[in-house]
Amino acid sequence: MVRRVLSLTSGRIALVILTVIALLAVLGPFIAPDNPLATSPDTLADASGAHWLGTDYLGRDVLSRLLDGSRVSVLGSLEVALTALGVGAIPGILSVYFGRVFEWVTLRLTDTLVALPFLLFAVAVVALLGNGITQAMLVTGVLVSPLFYRVARAATLAVARSPYVEAALISGASIGWVVRRHVWVKVLPPIAVALAQTIGVGFVIVSTLTFLGIGVQPPAPTWGGLLASDLGYLTQKPWAPLVPALLIMVTVWACNLLADAIRDVSGEAGRALVNNRKARANRLAGTDSDADLAHVHAGGA
Amino acid sequence: MTTTEAPATPPDVRHRIATTGARHTLGRVLVTLARSIAIFVPVFLVATFVTFALRSLSGLSPARIQLGEEATPEAVARVEAQWGLNRPFLVQYVDWLGGVLHGQLGTSWTNGADISTLIGLGLGVSLSVAFFALIIGVVAGFALGTIAALRRTTWIDRAITGFVTVISVMPAFVVGIVLVAVFAVGLHVFPSAGYVPAAQGVGPWLAHITLPAVALSFDVIADVARQLRTSLIAAYRENYVTGAIVRGLSPRRIFFGHVLRNGLGPALATLGLKFPTLVGASVVTEWIFGLQGFGRFANDSAQAGDVPAVQGVLVVSIVLVVVFNLIVNLVLARVTPASQRGV
Repeated sequence: MVRRVLSLTSGRIALVILTVIALLAVLGPFIAPDNPLATSPDTLADASGAHWLGTDYLGRDVLSRLLDGSRVSVLGSLEVALTALGVGAIPGILSVYFGRVFEWVTLRLTDTLVALPFLLFAVAVVALLGNGITQAMLVTGVLVSPLFYRVARAATLAVARSPYVEAALISGASIGWVVRRHVWVKVLPPIAVALAQTIGVGFVIVSTLTFLGIGVQPPAPTWGGLLASDLGYLTQKPWAPLVPALLIMVTVWACNLLADAIRDVSGEAGRALVNNRKARANRLAGTDSDADLAHVHAGGA
Repeated sequence: MTTTEAPATPPDVRHRIATTGARHTLGRVLVTLARSIAIFVPVFLVATFVTFALRSLSGLSPARIQLGEEATPEAVARVEAQWGLNRPFLVQYVDWLGGVLHGQLGTSWTNGADISTLIGLGLGVSLSVAFFALIIGVVAGFALGTIAALRRTTWIDRAITGFVTVISVMPAFVVGIVLVAVFAVGLHVFPSAGYVPAAQGVGPWLAHITLPAVALSFDVIADVARQLRTSLIAAYRENYVTGAIVRGLSPRRIFFGHVLRNGLGPALATLGLKFPTLVGASVVTEWIFGLQGFGRFANDSAQAGDVPAVQGVLVVSIVLVVVFNLIVNLVLARVTPASQRGV
């Protein structure tokens, strides 16, 4: 599946951007040119050789703060996505098999979670239950889990009603075996799509919470915190929010792009895509001059 | 067969058919209402229970706020007894829920003020912004989605799709900052902060809520436009559209009578899901634009550890979401033919 995603241009772009962001998160604090917390007398300086992105209102180097803050955003969004995956997908799959009571209860619970305005709830819970980005992300993960529940449940339902699963059950296969052997393969692609989307949503939520100053202690740098501090000095430095804002937007965009790419190469759409490519490759092969190129295409698909 | 006989039907028979149709519609609306309420009552109960459980989970107490950190255990116990916090959890919950159902959200721990009144003050601001955002989102999203679907696979479609992709990845607070930087600080077209009630003039009121509403609406525009484009294009592929073309109906009639009514469902359903996000995002926009709405109130009380106030805001937001979804369900049942058949 990874190879098929890579065969799409959009998939390649998305993976490259996300890899760069992940590298920033891992290496950011080490490659930061300055101490992100060190203040200096030249406040609100423009971009220069010493400070590539200028300095903030306390004279701290913006680039260093950006690099240092990337870890919080990346870890936070991954935490949201993985929590949502665990809390949502497993009950979603099991709801098809565990009988009506379990189904009813989990369905009502997801209805409830959807009805909760999650940003408001995240703000409330974090402020009341202790200030930590980890708690915030766990709560948000639970609140966005209905997406996974629905996706997993819909995919499982489609598989569970299919003749080959029935045949497997009649011939004496256990539910665990059927889930591992048949259900997983069909359920995994939609879940991967949801996961990519949720990582993007997680980025927005982490930066929103840090923008509000929730979940982190003040001097620690975050992408959202950078934007919040820029907001007070728009008259002096109108371009300051540009880089952090672009960074957040590009990351979210890459996540959505990846989700679309996975959707395009999996399931019915994926089969259509592969068939289209084969057909095109055959047509090109028929016109002899591009035969070699066509083979490369077919191999890539 | 009925089509050939239809012109021959006497007027009074047709009238009778119309009244039965109306009665059917009413029945359908009632059934939808009953079904929606059957879903939303458990939702409301679970959500309020979670909200109420927040206090026990947080371990916060009014005594900390009123007496400070160095209070003696006896004093803490006395204050907690005053607030009725020494009773069993379920008794407290039932008591609180009873109050909520009567519109009494309790009193604030920090200043003893009535929370219902405090929220009522901010609700006008938040609702003006949220509904204005919703209107902008629906109108713009509807226009973009429809144009993209009607001119599908042309450069217009591609331009709209690209634009929608760009605005869909912009978080509300980023849009807010950009809007402040451009329209308030740069061009001085709109005020950058504050709020004027509609009673003091519609012009200033609109000027103050436009920027926050636009900031909130981007998400709605993107979702409505994308959803509408997909479902309209899907509706155009249906057999009944081919049938309508064969029967010689005009493109306009096909669009409004067949395609739009059937393609509207998913976009409306998205709107129902979008509303909680709008309410939640008010926390951010109200912070940026300096509005004293209920999102700001939630943030401030949460930071101050004022649990009843936070619970009150959450309950109000849950009620708003539930009511809005109820309305969406009713409209959905009325508009789309598929949901009338109970499909």
